[in-house]
Amino acid sequence: MLRKAISPRFLRSPACLLLVLPLAACDGRQSVLNAAGQDSRQLLYLFIVMLAGAVVLWLGLNGLFLYVTRLRPQALKIHNVNWFLFGAGVLFPSVVIGALLAWGLSIMPAQRAAGDGLRIAVHAEEWWWRVEYWPKGATTPIVSANEIRFPAGSRSELHLSADTYIHSLWIPALGGKMDMIPGRTTVLTLHPDLEGFYRGQCAELCGASHALMAFQAVVMAPDDFARWLKDQAASAPPPTSPAATRGEALFRDEGCGACHTVRGTEFVGAVGPDLTHFASRGTLGAGNWQPTAENLMAWIAHADDLKPDVAMPAYDWLDPDQLADLAAYLKGLT
Amino acid sequence: MAQRSLPPTDREDEDELRDESLSLWRIAFSPIIWAAHFLLCYAGAAIWCARVGPTQGTAFLRLSVLALTLIALGLIGWVGWRALQQWRPEASTADRLHHPENRHHFLGHAAVLLSLISVVGVIYVALPALFIGTCQ
Amino acid sequence: MTGRSPQGPFPPTEEMLARPVPTALQVAQEEELHAAWRTRTGLRYLMSTNNTVIGKWYAATCLVFMLFSGVLALLMRIQLAFPGMNFLDADRFNQFFTMHGTGMMFLFAVPLFEAMAILLLPAFLGARDMPFPRLSAFGYWSFLIGGVFVLGSVLFDAAPSSGWFMYPPLATEAEGAGSDIWLLGLSFIEVASIAAAVELIVGVLKCRPPGMRVNMMPLYAWYVLVVGGMILFAFPPLIAGDLLFELERALDWPFFDPARGGEPLFWQHLFWIFGHPEVYIVFLPSIAIAAMIVPTVAQRPIVGYSWIVLSAVGTGFLSFGLWVHHMFTTGLPLISLGFFSAASEAVVIPTGIQIFVFLATLALGRVRMSLPMLWIAGALAIFTAGGLTGVMLAIAPFDWQVHDTYFIVAHLHYTLFGGMILPVMAGVYYFHPFFAKRMLSERLGKWAFWLIFGGFNLCFLPMHLTGLLGMPRRVFTYPGDIGWNTLNLISTIGAFTIAAGFAIFLWDLVRPGKPHLTNRNPWNAGTLEWTDQVRHRDWGVRSIPYVTSRYPLWDQPKLVARMDAGRYYLPDAPERLRETMVTSVIDARPTQVQRVTGDSWIPLLAAIFTGGCFILPIFHLYAPAAMSGVMAVGCILYWLWTATAQVPKAEMRKAGLGLKLPLYASGPEAVGWWAMWITMLADSTAFASLVFGFFFYWTARADFIPGDATHADAGLVALCAAGILLSWGLTYGARHLNRSAHATAARSALIAAPTLALGAGTALVLSVLELSPTSHVYPAIICALVIWTGAHIALGILMQFYCLAGTIFGKIDPNHDTDLWNVTLYWHFLLMTVAVTAAVIGLAPRLL
Repeated sequence: MLRKAISPRFLRSPACLLLVLPLAACDGRQSVLNAAGQDSRQLLYLFIVMLAGAVVLWLGLNGLFLYVTRLRPQALKIHNVNWFLFGAGVLFPSVVIGALLAWGLSIMPAQRAAGDGLRIAVHAEEWWWRVEYWPKGATTPIVSANEIRFPAGSRSELHLSADTYIHSLWIPALGGKMDMIPGRTTVLTLHPDLEGFYRGQCAELCGASHALMAFQAVVMAPDDFARWLKDQAASAPPPTSPAATRGEALFRDEGCGACHTVRGTEFVGAVGPDLTHFASRGTLGAGNWQPTAENLMAWIAHADDLKPDVAMPAYDWLDPDQLADLAAYLKGLT
Repeated sequence: MAQRSLPPTDREDEDELRDESLSLWRIAFSPIIWAAHFLLCYAGAAIWCARVGPTQGTAFLRLSVLALTLIALGLIGWVGWRALQQWRPEASTADRLHHPENRHHFLGHAAVLLSLISVVGVIYVALPALFIGTCQ
Repeated sequence: MTGRSPQGPFPPTEEMLARPVPTALQVAQEEELHAAWRTRTGLRYLMSTNNTVIGKWYAATCLVFMLFSGVLALLMRIQLAFPGMNFLDADRFNQFFTMHGTGMMFLFAVPLFEAMAILLLPAFLGARDMPFPRLSAFGYWSFLIGGVFVLGSVLFDAAPSSGWFMYPPLATEAEGAGSDIWLLGLSFIEVASIAAAVELIVGVLKCRPPGMRVNMMPLYAWYVLVVGGMILFAFPPLIAGDLLFELERALDWPFFDPARGGEPLFWQHLFWIFGHPEVYIVFLPSIAIAAMIVPTVAQRPIVGYSWIVLSAVGTGFLSFGLWVHHMFTTGLPLISLGFFSAASEAVVIPTGIQIFVFLATLALGRVRMSLPMLWIAGALAIFTAGGLTGVMLAIAPFDWQVHDTYFIVAHLHYTLFGGMILPVMAGVYYFHPFFAKRMLSERLGKWAFWLIFGGFNLCFLPMHLTGLLGMPRRVFTYPGDIGWNTLNLISTIGAFTIAAGFAIFLWDLVRPGKPHLTNRNPWNAGTLEWTDQVRHRDWGVRSIPYVTSRYPLWDQPKLVARMDAGRYYLPDAPERLRETMVTSVIDARPTQVQRVTGDSWIPLLAAIFTGGCFILPIFHLYAPAAMSGVMAVGCILYWLWTATAQVPKAEMRKAGLGLKLPLYASGPEAVGWWAMWITMLADSTAFASLVFGFFFYWTARADFIPGDATHADAGLVALCAAGILLSWGLTYGARHLNRSAHATAARSALIAAPTLALGAGTALVLSVLELSPTSHVYPAIICALVIWTGAHIALGILMQFYCLAGTIFGKIDPNHDTDLWNVTLYWHFLLMTVAVTAAVIGLAPRLL
């Protein structure tokens, strides 16, 4: 459905070869193992070291158990049980785990380092993401939804909040997750460095459509990002085809503008996602479907079938031509 | 009165019962010190970071954790030392395990071991203050 | 003071023990015991309170709830077998995983600990029964009613669907009765769990056989002691949380609503202060079973007894410092996360020590591999894997990645299968000959093991990778193009393999024709439960032995014959009453013969009415609920009045071996006093959680306390505190007056005390009448504290009247005043509660 976004670097990485290839599951758009940023790479490295240690310890302990229960010829003699238990049970684990703990603690501040300028405010709704870009010095945000774009090579700050329920924002390829809690603002900072398309998803149970609350994360070259952001700040382009013009009229008549904003038009609703540059986004329905005309028509006609308990009503009285016109209008919002 | 009607028959009963009740509690002293240290560190950090940390930094907080840690280690050391006297470890080798240590030595032994674990716990809990210098 | 002290020789000499018991006497004694202890048949079987009967009911009910919750998991695995399945819709899927977690944790894992302990502990300790058998029965019936109600809601599509952790605002805002069913149904079961914990702690401390010093207890008893203690401190915060949660649901008091000063995170704290120790509450008793099996398999005493004690006590303490590791991603300050990361790593050390003790014991012994040991071996393999991923997850930054993913699902199932299910299965195979007097099949057992063990790894090992590939938990569907398909299908196949293993196990359990036991000790174990005769007798032990070893069956060769002959203590029941022995806490010197309560309908009735009181409000039937509550109180009063602290006909009873023991005890000598003390510890923990709430809001919210807030009336609060102080003084005085035979003065004090307390309670309620608890969390938490304190004052008044009635109707006299002692103890705690409440609602707002 979505554009394949396999990182070539990941395909060559030892982690993938070791863990993933045998199971032929190397897509990696939403994978911790497909690290595309400083934070996720640091955590992947931590994981690989811990995994190696864990495998050695597991084999050692279970090997010892097998030996004492099955393989040894006779009862062993341990001269001083207290010293054995002290060494194996207290001293060794204290040192090993203490070292691991120190390492883990030492990388925490770096994972939450302050951003380099760009602030992205993400507000979780049921079940989609309201996104505002605040470049350094901005006084008004550039509003988008259900897609988060980052400039590669710098640290962006995500200021997270939520509307009604608790949600959690997570882009595995870029770094750890952070909960979005009504009544507070939490801060996550990410430093992506590999350009590409990734997938993020809500990680905290948030009701019926928790499984369907995802988004596309895009990491772009800094110049591309600046250009893209400038385009996003602009108003929506007017309809260019007859179908799209009819679609705009339908959008007005059916009251879509009561919930959705299309900047530069009379549509200023704030309940649902901002659709000003809808066609520039990679997904439909918060990271779930490709924004093809057919999918759009199905979504408008039966949103609640596709996404349980969604706030958007089903426009099932519209005929296929009308739906196609609406889709044409939306596909024109580049 | 109960004691008089049941005359003591073995050496263990010479130990005063009150002392023994105390040493049943004594095995919990070290973990209780760990718990107090942990709670003070956590509550202190939570309140400091919620109320004053963002403006005044964390130097005072981190020094307080250090001080609390030294106090806790000192107290556990003292409890552990007392327990070690009670245990007399040379009396418990593997060969003698068929026969339980007497109750007096056992409670000392358990208290020594719990002190050991509590020392590790207190040191671990102090580590965050070493590595983390902000209220983020 | 009365002349109630033990008389006669203790410990017994070898000559005394060697003296034979005449056969005619043996027969007569057996008849007496049979008359006292026999299990009723027909419908009256339901009146049973004997621990062996209750224990079996309890365990069987847990098993049924486990199977039910397991089936829910299978249905979820079908939905997840392929991407985009439509087998279950989103809401039903959410109900299923909520009930799977709730059922497994609250209706299987924790109650199974209580079930096994009630079934086994008296046998481990050579006791006839638990100290409070009717309390066991009451706990069981409460558990059954609550469990059926909570799980049954799934069948009506009315189950809670916000996860077993019930996070607000999702759970507080949820429509329908689901959240209320969860809250009230489980509160009811939690109360039963605390009751069980109280009973088990008292059982371990006071009901050991003579001579079993604290350092000679079976290791299982140590674990029971630690776990019982943990329940006392872990469950009450959740009960306090439930109270606040239900006040928000029913009355719109905004404890978790950020718009009115509330804080959703406060619930998470309360839930996990309960939730993480709970994991260890589940894990430790299962390890305790392993600690009973390993020495038998090695045919030698455990190596490092003190180390196991250290490990149990240390784990118990440390497990209370881990709760925030469930909240690593909530944006708390890094330094706070660090403390919990550190404690989470520290708990690994005592947990690991247990494994090394088992290893050392096996290494020093001559291992006889058997079916229980196979399950222990499987448990070790699985648990160490889960423990090692636990070490990883305790590193906070790594948790930021995998928190709430299938990696966690894998981790927690590895710890719970390895740390609970498999050791318990080992325990079932090991103890089946003890409680069923038949052996389970070796061949079927191996099949069950390999299917469950293999199926488990097939199901859950791939889930680590599923999680790393980004699949979050609790999703009812997933897209087919992210690379999760194969892994999910494998997991589903594994889940059904586990189910096949359990099916074989169940068949073995229920199939007829299993061979009867021929040898009472088939594993050649060393502990007292294996003295139980080949044909189980309802009285438990024939006589309560004098113990001089940790493994009396190995070290005291004549023990079994002497027990059977009735050579030891309490070999008879001259008054045909159920009795067990009470000994001192440290050295287990005999102190008393305790008359324990016998079969009765009252526990069942009390449980039904208590259940009504908790369950009816869900359907907004408040009047019937209140009536049901009154009936429950009535039942419990009847039960206490007619069956506890009875004045015996004779003060002393011949207990055997020349020892004469009192039949009545009061004050710290009495088991009831200990039970009150322990219960009030739990009660105070719940109260402390509410007080913690007040200060939590103060720390977390800048708008607490609002500048324009109305405070509780300080004068009335002070009046309440003064009234309670006086009432407490009068209660305390009544105890002294009664003992010095000033009956009229004592009665007058017991009339004045509740009158004063009633006035004090009224003043407390009046002090907050001006407050509007729906407007902001500040008045809401003040009113919650007043509700809590007011309810306790009401209970205190009831107790004072109970004692007044006792002095009038001869239940309490200068020599028999245990009720007064226990009530005074309650009032000590009540005084403290009122003082703290007064300080928090009267003083703190004016000082902060």
